[in-house]
Amino acid sequence: MQGLFAYTLRRLLWVPLVLLVVSFFTFTITRFGPGDPVTILAGQYQDPEVIERVKQERGLDQPFYEQYGIYMKNLLTKGDFGTSITIQRDFKVWDIIWPRMLVSLQPGLVALVIAFPLGIAVGIFAALRQGTWMDPFSIGTFLLLQSVPVLVTLPLLVLIFVVKLGWLPATGWGGPRVDVGPQDIALGIFSRHIILPALVLSLPGVAGIARLVRATTLSVLGEDYVRTARAKGLPELTVVSRHVARNALLPLVTVVGLSLITLLEGAFFTETILGIPGIGRLGVEAAQSRDYDVILALVLILAAAFVVANIVIDIAYTFIDPRIRFGAQRSG
Amino acid sequence: MNRVILVIMGLMAALVVAIGVVVVVLVAGGGEDEVRGPQDTTGQEENGTEDGGGGPAAGELRLLGPEPLSLDPHVITESASAVYVVEIFGGLLTLDPELQLQADLAQEIPSEANGGKVITADGTVTYTFHLRENALFHDRKPVTADDVKYSLERAADPATQSLVAEFFLGDIVGVKEKLAGEATEVRGVQAVDDLTVAITIERDLPSFLYKLTYPTAFVVDQRQVEGDPNWSRRPNGTGPYKLEQWRLGERIILKANDRYHLGAPKVETVRFLQAGSGITLYEAGDVDVTGVALDDLQRVQDPADPLNAEYRSGTSLAIDYIGFNTNSPPFDDPTVRKAFAMAIDKEQIASAIFQGAIPVANSILMPGMAAYNENARAPEFNPDEARRLLEESKYGGPEGLPTISLAESGTGASSGPGTAAIVEMWRDNLGVEVEIEQAETATFFQDVSQGRYQAFLIGWIMDYPAEDDILNIHLDSESPNNDTFYKNPQVDDLLRRALLEPDQQQRIQLYQQAEQIILDEVPWFPLFFGQYHALVKPYVKDYLIPPAIVPRLRFVTLEAQ
Repeated sequence: MQGLFAYTLRRLLWVPLVLLVVSFFTFTITRFGPGDPVTILAGQYQDPEVIERVKQERGLDQPFYEQYGIYMKNLLTKGDFGTSITIQRDFKVWDIIWPRMLVSLQPGLVALVIAFPLGIAVGIFAALRQGTWMDPFSIGTFLLLQSVPVLVTLPLLVLIFVVKLGWLPATGWGGPRVDVGPQDIALGIFSRHIILPALVLSLPGVAGIARLVRATTLSVLGEDYVRTARAKGLPELTVVSRHVARNALLPLVTVVGLSLITLLEGAFFTETILGIPGIGRLGVEAAQSRDYDVILALVLILAAAFVVANIVIDIAYTFIDPRIRFGAQRSG
Repeated sequence: MNRVILVIMGLMAALVVAIGVVVVVLVAGGGEDEVRGPQDTTGQEENGTEDGGGGPAAGELRLLGPEPLSLDPHVITESASAVYVVEIFGGLLTLDPELQLQADLAQEIPSEANGGKVITADGTVTYTFHLRENALFHDRKPVTADDVKYSLERAADPATQSLVAEFFLGDIVGVKEKLAGEATEVRGVQAVDDLTVAITIERDLPSFLYKLTYPTAFVVDQRQVEGDPNWSRRPNGTGPYKLEQWRLGERIILKANDRYHLGAPKVETVRFLQAGSGITLYEAGDVDVTGVALDDLQRVQDPADPLNAEYRSGTSLAIDYIGFNTNSPPFDDPTVRKAFAMAIDKEQIASAIFQGAIPVANSILMPGMAAYNENARAPEFNPDEARRLLEESKYGGPEGLPTISLAESGTGASSGPGTAAIVEMWRDNLGVEVEIEQAETATFFQDVSQGRYQAFLIGWIMDYPAEDDILNIHLDSESPNNDTFYKNPQVDDLLRRALLEPDQQQRIQLYQQAEQIILDEVPWFPLFFGQYHALVKPYVKDYLIPPAIVPRLRFVTLEAQ
């Protein structure tokens, strides 16, 4: 356990450095990219003197490294992610992001919950049917779903279920409300609003999981202990559930982290198309309107989430698979 | 190994339970639909559970609204925010739905006749406003002269970071000093007594009172603004409606201000949804009014369509035009500009592409403006004359021209339908290949103002119904908003004289004269005027579609069904 502690500490020490690099690059890109929030605010009233004055007032006329220094100082000493300019003028960035994050999490979680069991089932099924038409057919079906871009499937589903059949609501989001501090949010997870985004986010991911499970299942099927189990005359169901599945599913734990990334990419499209007030749509809007602090905060929060999630997964791995011992890596 | 089994079994169990929940939700959701029918969507579901009923029967008007950037009247510049701000706040003066100047917090419009306007020997003008005694903030606190002074000074405070304060309030004595950080107060605004405000402007400017109807001049509650950093999320205004609820990205709910000094609104609750497709929601009965996009227009304009009876349209004080950068070759030559203008068949574009849904503009000033001139003539479509002019220009014909591009704002894969048609007409009628350059909205206005384009498609929405808001600010050579860099001393002179001309008839004449010269020299080539298309449910009465963003919700009534 000492080795694990040292390993965790070492990994955690990297986190601030990663975030520092990410923040610096994001900051630089926004400041040197075309357009700026004050000019956007000015809209049809482009008076260079006035724009310059407002930039000065906001400190946007300072050299960018000074702006970066001020931002990082506020972030580290006060936990202040800054202030929005063009999304919700003068609102604290954290107050804008926090409720939206909770909204985005809902379709994301439901999608994970759909994608994993479905992917596992399809993967094991395909492996057991290796050599028959059902193997490529089952995987192929989900590969097709993965290959068609969300930009195509989503409007199609909207057309069918919202416009033609009228089964699903036309508005983006709703449901019972809970207060989360700066404002209340809708728990779409308890309403029909969840269906479309959860489906669209989950289905493309099934193929990846299924293929991984299929591959590991196949390798496990060739193990001695499986042959032994079969030789003992155990029913096939018991062999699969107790000896095959258990060992074949281990690598999936690592995929959970990667799936989060896929989900997030999907969120940018689904939330924008369906009008769900989550961080995907916020990210698109913030980038379009050059809301510096919102962009930076989103990138930082997501980067932190990925880094930490990956560390947690690596650590969880040592619990699940006793063969992996981090402390032992160097000594042996 | 035991631990492994436990972890995996736990994981599987959680997944199975969770997927079960999802299945139940899916099935339950579907079942509900079958019972209640497809018409009943979540809008009502939510109304029922949290707001105690909704829809016309409950005295609620349901609209689609844009997401406001802010509800602080002093900083907003865009219509998305103004829609709400004009209902929640008010100033000394306002515009009625016919865009006539009206007293709001003031008892009457100051004029020389009623003694409210005094021109002093040094050329400054002092307006005296007497506040209504029954003008109250939403919290029932009376509006005082100090509130007005505080509000105007706050708008002009550099810390407020208003991008339009100078534009709308810059005529007031002392505002420029305040904006530059050289003064703590605005000298030109004085609280004479509790209910009397005197505003002094630098020179007699006939359109000044209109500028006071813009949100920058609205009155806010000093105690609230200074005491509550998040005040603009629960603003205490003086307007006909109070903000009841603002859920970011979802909805805004306004409640009637029963004490409103110009007459209480008739509809108790107005709900703005901020997401969803307008016509779908409208047909589902979830909103009572929706704007109609071009794609659906043909359908609702068809008399055979059931929606046709609910279709309304109204003009808006807005214009689309092509701006020619008069500093940039080849449009530095007025003959080339004219040739390019005469090669465009606007009628054809309007009828073939926009199905006649937008009015063709032959002048810069739109109908509804005092100086609108029916006889104003922008260069008319005439391909032969256009070619001849191009040959005659200093570039000597299509071969002598540099590469030309026409910029428009937009990031789509394809250009706007009108843009493609214009470029095609230039190719067919002039033999000139023009490229379309698409720019992101974020940088488009800036690039235009910095002269980065040769020609650009752009629009202008009037802030107040006075001619200077378009002619002086865009076409006077000294104006920072002169985006075509047009410079004609005669036009400058006419525009500046018109700006200060107290006599309306004289002023109209001067503006019309200037406008015709501009049309002939074509820094601007007017294309279309603004037109708004909407569907309004039959039980919604007196839903006005004014040509500009002005308070109008208090006039609406809902007929009991």
